[in-house]
Amino acid sequence: MLRALVVLLAVGLGLPASAAGQGFKPSKPIEFVVHTGPGGGNDVLARFIATAMGKEKLLPVRMQITNKPGGGGLTALAYLVEKQGQPHTIGTFTGVWITTTLMRAEAKVTVKDLTPVVRLALEPAVIVVKHDAPYKTLKEFIDAAKGNPGQLKQSGGSIGSRDWVIRQLLTRHTGAQWAFISFPGGGERIAALLGGHVQMMVIEPQEAGEHIRGGGMRVLAQIADRRLPGFPGVPTLKEAGFDIPIVPVVRGIVAPPGAPREVVAYWEDVFVRLAQTATWKKYLEDNQFEDGFQRSAEFGAFVDRFSEMMRGLLREAGVNVVR
Amino acid sequence: MDVLPGLLQGAAVALTPINLLWCFLGVVLGTAVGVMPGLGPPATIAMLLPLTFQMNPTSAIIMLAGIYYGAKYGGSTTSILLNVPGESASVVTCLDGFAMAKRGRAGAALGIAAIASFIAGTFGVLGLMLTAPPLARAALAFSSPEYFALMVLGLAMVVLLAGTSLVKALLAMLVGLWIASVGTDLFTATSRFTFGHSELLDGIDFVVVAIGVFALGEVLANMESGHAAAMLPVPTGLRNLLPSRAELKACRFAFVNGSVVGFLIGVLPGAGSTIASFLSYGVEKAVSRHPERFGTGVPEGVAAPEGANNSETGGALVPMLTLAIPGSATTAILLAALILWGFKPGPLMIQEHPTMFWGLVVSMYVGNVMLLVLNLPLIPLFAQILRLPAYILYPVIFGVSIVGVYSVSGSQFDVAMLVGFGLLGYLMRKLDYPAAPLILGLVLGDSMERALRQSLMMSQGDLGILISRPIAAVILALAVIVLGIPSLRRANAWRMKAIG
Repeated sequence: MLRALVVLLAVGLGLPASAAGQGFKPSKPIEFVVHTGPGGGNDVLARFIATAMGKEKLLPVRMQITNKPGGGGLTALAYLVEKQGQPHTIGTFTGVWITTTLMRAEAKVTVKDLTPVVRLALEPAVIVVKHDAPYKTLKEFIDAAKGNPGQLKQSGGSIGSRDWVIRQLLTRHTGAQWAFISFPGGGERIAALLGGHVQMMVIEPQEAGEHIRGGGMRVLAQIADRRLPGFPGVPTLKEAGFDIPIVPVVRGIVAPPGAPREVVAYWEDVFVRLAQTATWKKYLEDNQFEDGFQRSAEFGAFVDRFSEMMRGLLREAGVNVVR
Repeated sequence: MDVLPGLLQGAAVALTPINLLWCFLGVVLGTAVGVMPGLGPPATIAMLLPLTFQMNPTSAIIMLAGIYYGAKYGGSTTSILLNVPGESASVVTCLDGFAMAKRGRAGAALGIAAIASFIAGTFGVLGLMLTAPPLARAALAFSSPEYFALMVLGLAMVVLLAGTSLVKALLAMLVGLWIASVGTDLFTATSRFTFGHSELLDGIDFVVVAIGVFALGEVLANMESGHAAAMLPVPTGLRNLLPSRAELKACRFAFVNGSVVGFLIGVLPGAGSTIASFLSYGVEKAVSRHPERFGTGVPEGVAAPEGANNSETGGALVPMLTLAIPGSATTAILLAALILWGFKPGPLMIQEHPTMFWGLVVSMYVGNVMLLVLNLPLIPLFAQILRLPAYILYPVIFGVSIVGVYSVSGSQFDVAMLVGFGLLGYLMRKLDYPAAPLILGLVLGDSMERALRQSLMMSQGDLGILISRPIAAVILALAVIVLGIPSLRRANAWRMKAIG
């Protein structure tokens, strides 16, 4: 009943409007597939996009979110692959598809089966410690880790997550070692740091910003190519003397396997125009995301490079890579 | 924080007609969502989120919070009437709530659930208002070793949930722990018991097991007896639809217990309302003068967990509003909503947006009153469900169960598993295995294993970390005491007999 109510209201918002159509033009509602349940990061993004598309009149039809949670993201991946040949289905991209398919024998399909559409945003991160920690710079933290092997701890996500990758890259680059303790929820990771149970974590700038302003955290470095507007005084990893690849969390759009060129071109065009709206720019600014726009071909190449780096890192960490 | 000026400021916000309307809309929606098993508050809030972009943020949070605490009122309804837990925290309510319904006291059980929810819900807001910032900081002292101890204390409650045989209860609990281990190991990212099915990589959803074992198992067992034409006695007359004076009196301590336990557990970001309801039920039974009657339909067995479940809401908002630390799926999505509306959640939010905070607090007092007024008249209406003859009621329970499970994940695999767990529930009833310990093991197993391994990673493998930290040590000691309760009782009974 509730779903019906939401759909009804969504119809009201998604008024018909002009759209660039050379060859393909949607004629029925768009199914927008998300790999998390309602409330996950990609779900909030997808619902924002669906609302923005209606508000900016970029699509002649409405977008309807389909949540396909479960299977470490594989349920949604398999669902999208099954939708081959259906131009009215697209989905949000997640890096989870890369790591899960590398590690899981259960996966029957991989992210390579999908058609990349656009890369939309990059979510940078910052490395933080508690406000009263003795480390003022990332180098001091690394030196302390070298001096006390295995004593320092980082709270983070699971194997293959962005904060895990950063830790692997940093330990490989410097030879220092510290423990990586997995917590399933972001809140628990922050609580562990603020409670003094771990010494360091990698966190989204938006989340960190308020804890820094409130005096709970100190930033050591930012994981970004350029300094973020919110942290003008904090060095990037490279500036801090650690020349390791920047690992962002990537938000983007994919389509089912072998989508025809005119369908991809249509969606590229729609998202190019979305990315130029003030609504989208404000969304990026509010969340401190970076504009990471790439078209289909570039995005595909990016996913390939990212997959290769992940494969190497997972192997190095002794994880069983299945494909 | 100055409470009185804050309250006045909040009242000026929350008591405007438009915000009263949003609050009312939220609690009505929440009640509806709570009554329906499956689709829970996080999903509802996420789906409504895009609609709130046009709203005043304070009105929006008043409405979404209304859904959050409103759902907790509704969750007990299907537990009591149909033995179908509406949400994970209402599993414990099935034990005595459904037993009360079987005795013809369904109306009283619903009434007690509503009253306990009101008292504890209000207590939760009071706690949020008076203690938020300092308490949130104190809760940070809790980390993995303390959570491990808390989970052990929770598991020790199994001796209190056991029916006739402690061995059978322990076996059921082990099965629950095993089900909890299915899925992906967080630390090594390896698959456990997935048998090549990607559907099992995220583990087995709690709702599938609880609804299968409780609701389907119950229906299957009842269908067998054949003569269940009138399954449950239907309460008639106002006297039978509301709790009696004696029943309310029996719940005096349960109201306090549920309020306090629920709030304190709620403040801890890593615990949750299910643990709160189990713990509070355990406390109630441990201090009771007639523990042997728990599970046969005692009102305090409904009041304690339902109270804890509601008071937990106020507690869970403490770390979310003061430190931007979400402790549950619902608070995580509320946090995402605050960001989308342009707030900056964090340690300074209450100072910088007092209108939002106090408006929310006052709206929660008002919302709880609305919920009580809304839920009490609904009781006779809901109780009519029991009038349905078995040949209609059983298919309805089946339908509600399947829709509930399917609405969570949209997965047919989960529906198939639901049937499997229904058969398990049936077998357990036939062989006289209690179902609650299985659920307890399932709920706590995952977090307990995780907390233990996190602790050992922190201490580089030294088990001493579990007892060298004072809070963890105290909680573990409590667990040992709980484990000793049955033997103490037996010894006491034996002594009495010897004296007599």
